[in-house]
Amino acid sequence: MTATDRQRRFELMALPHLDAAYNLARWLTGNPADAEDVVQTAYLRAFRYFEAWRGGDLRVWLLAIVRTSFVDWARENRSARLVFRAEPTDEAGEALPPLWTEPTRDPEAQVLGTLDGQSLATLIQSLSPEYREVLILREMEDMSYKQIAAVAGVPIGTVMSRLARARAELRRAWLAQEPA
Amino acid sequence: MMPQSACDLTRRDLGRLADDEVGPVRRLLLSRHLRRCAACAARYEEILTMRRTLRERLPAHRAPPALAARIGAAIAAEARPAPIPSPSRRLFPTLLGPLGGGAVGALAGVALTLLVLGGSGAGDRLTEDVLASHLRSLMGDHLTDVPTSDRHTVKPWLSARLDVSPPVHDFAAEGFPLVGGRLDYLDGHPAAAVVYRSDRHVINLFAWRADPNDPATPRARQLQGFNVICWRADGTGYCAVSDVERDTLERFVKLVDRPG
Repeated sequence: MTATDRQRRFELMALPHLDAAYNLARWLTGNPADAEDVVQTAYLRAFRYFEAWRGGDLRVWLLAIVRTSFVDWARENRSARLVFRAEPTDEAGEALPPLWTEPTRDPEAQVLGTLDGQSLATLIQSLSPEYREVLILREMEDMSYKQIAAVAGVPIGTVMSRLARARAELRRAWLAQEPA
Repeated sequence: MMPQSACDLTRRDLGRLADDEVGPVRRLLLSRHLRRCAACAARYEEILTMRRTLRERLPAHRAPPALAARIGAAIAAEARPAPIPSPSRRLFPTLLGPLGGGAVGALAGVALTLLVLGGSGAGDRLTEDVLASHLRSLMGDHLTDVPTSDRHTVKPWLSARLDVSPPVHDFAAEGFPLVGGRLDYLDGHPAAAVVYRSDRHVINLFAWRADPNDPATPRARQLQGFNVICWRADGTGYCAVSDVERDTLERFVKLVDRPG
């Protein structure tokens, strides 16, 4: 395959996932300029190692590289706050938290359906990166646990427990919002 | 009342149930419990509401139009260490054409959703290259180097920079207004790209000095939702590409290729 063939093939296959890559990077970095840098780095890496792609789910492969690029970027440029941290509880993937323990009251259930997009975005942005990540991949990219596990490089059990915690934390923040 | 442990076990799995990540047997047991336990059912309803709200309202960030161009340039620089032996269109400062950046971004979105992944065995090298250039022109902010519907500006601009002098007409009366011109690089050689519009769709018409291997008779291909028609006339090779209907693109090609 000539250089041009390789480039064309890569662009035809990878560029359709550019929005997904940018969306993930944008939610992880929290701002457009850094998201662009992370995505560009990721795409260049993906192009360089395109032969390493085994023909599976290309979106998963690309988003995993976006994630790695984000981790590198966060280490180089930002405080540790932005970097993913391994939770001690992650190790025991099977020990799922029992969601939330408070009883559901009807007005609360309704509040969960009333936030506008911008307030929602602020809430998501306030979550820690590993929670933000699973929620974005699950709800915006519609990925299965298996796909999310492949992107994040963790066992499926960890995806389950992270999602459960992410939802519990989001719910807590959500209900703490002042009613409009 | 259900024993506490049954509710605990159920609640642990409600997220997986909402995510459709439980096996059929577990699903059956969970559904049975939810029918009998109002507290667990309310919790499940909460998760569903939360999921629905996130899916419907969380704003998706779209890649800015210039990002694809930047990535394309970075990849090209890596793939071809030797400089391209033609004036790269990225060297030319570009003003936004009659199509605003927003419109181009929207078009790129349409184009992207039409792209279907998978083996593109149907496409030959030229067709794939034409489509790739078309997509790049939609996604970057480099749709045109000379953004004008004045053919007396576009034609000399292209002729001065290329070894071909492509026909440039404003087919506004026929439904294909001229948008502008651009230098591009196609299948290993510099090419003129004359940009037209058909309603909200963009048509790229590529022209280059013909190779004897280019087909002399019109040849239509469909690739990933886009129509590509290539032909040769008077020593010049042409390809028209767009996501308009095949009939519309053929009508456009006949206008371009009409004798005289």
